[in-house]
Amino acid sequence: MIRIAAVGDVHVDKDVVGRYRPALEELPDRADALLVAGDLTRHGTPEEARCFAKEFGGLGVPVVVCLGNHDHQSDQQEQVTEVLTDAGITVLESAATVLEIRGHRLGIAGTKGFGGGFAGACASNFGEREMKDFVGTAERYAEALETALKSVECDALVALTHYSPVPETLVGEPLEIYAFLGCYQLGRAIDAAPTALALHGHAHHGSERGRTPGGVPVRNVAHPVIKQAYNVYQLLSDEVDATLVGAN
Amino acid sequence: MTIDTDLEAEIQRLLAEHDRIAEQGITVQRRDHLIVLGGEVESAQRRDEICQQITTHFPDVQITCDIGITRTQAPSEVEEIS
Repeated sequence: MIRIAAVGDVHVDKDVVGRYRPALEELPDRADALLVAGDLTRHGTPEEARCFAKEFGGLGVPVVVCLGNHDHQSDQQEQVTEVLTDAGITVLESAATVLEIRGHRLGIAGTKGFGGGFAGACASNFGEREMKDFVGTAERYAEALETALKSVECDALVALTHYSPVPETLVGEPLEIYAFLGCYQLGRAIDAAPTALALHGHAHHGSERGRTPGGVPVRNVAHPVIKQAYNVYQLLSDEVDATLVGAN
Repeated sequence: MTIDTDLEAEIQRLLAEHDRIAEQGITVQRRDHLIVLGGEVESAQRRDEICQQITTHFPDVQITCDIGITRTQAPSEVEEIS
């Protein structure tokens, strides 16, 4: 059995430091790792990254993240990544990592992802250079995710993205902005590997649960959606125990 | 009071692009002569800043703020993925 905690869109800055910490301090009793699905910061500055590292680092469980669009706002994503890495946080962009947990290998492949839309309402690689660049960006991220997912040997494989791989977890958002919240290519990448769970954020008004066309469970863990510090998911279950150790 | 037809769009761009706000998850809905703000943010300061900046940039607009602060309690349940 592996338990992973997950949240996204925490948008940490100085004013948030200390808010999550009491719940995060309980993590070693509740989960084996924490995954954060992007938008770690408000503007993507190294200062905000240090605030995130202070709040989400040093927890006693591995912390694995991908970046979100907010973390790119200041064009300092490399410095943000460096701050987080120096704090012991694993940042995945078109990459994968494996955590050894009680004799199991948990593989996590991550990317920010990008928009583009879904079946019936998606952008095409056609026309103006700007449009082709937009679609090409989505395709590049999705291809990199597929490569990362296929690169690991593990007992349970998790895809971690900021943008959504399916439209089901966007329900609640205006239809007009679905194309800016995710793309079907991410879902196709997730289905190309033996993925057990896909986690994403970005859609603050979306829904929590969905599945890819290939049947992989998808969870939108954006903080405004889950409405708590993090959710906990159990993989490789021998026996279901729905009560968390240490839960009040 | 006259409300410009693009007002909601202008407010949403302000909320996303203003350096001290950077919020993309706030809903802006027109109710007669009111603009109702919804969604959740990470701190009370952020909610207050949103209201202050809208008032500063659109002084003729009357707003009602239903923005909440996202809760950060630990979970009490686990979901089995199968």
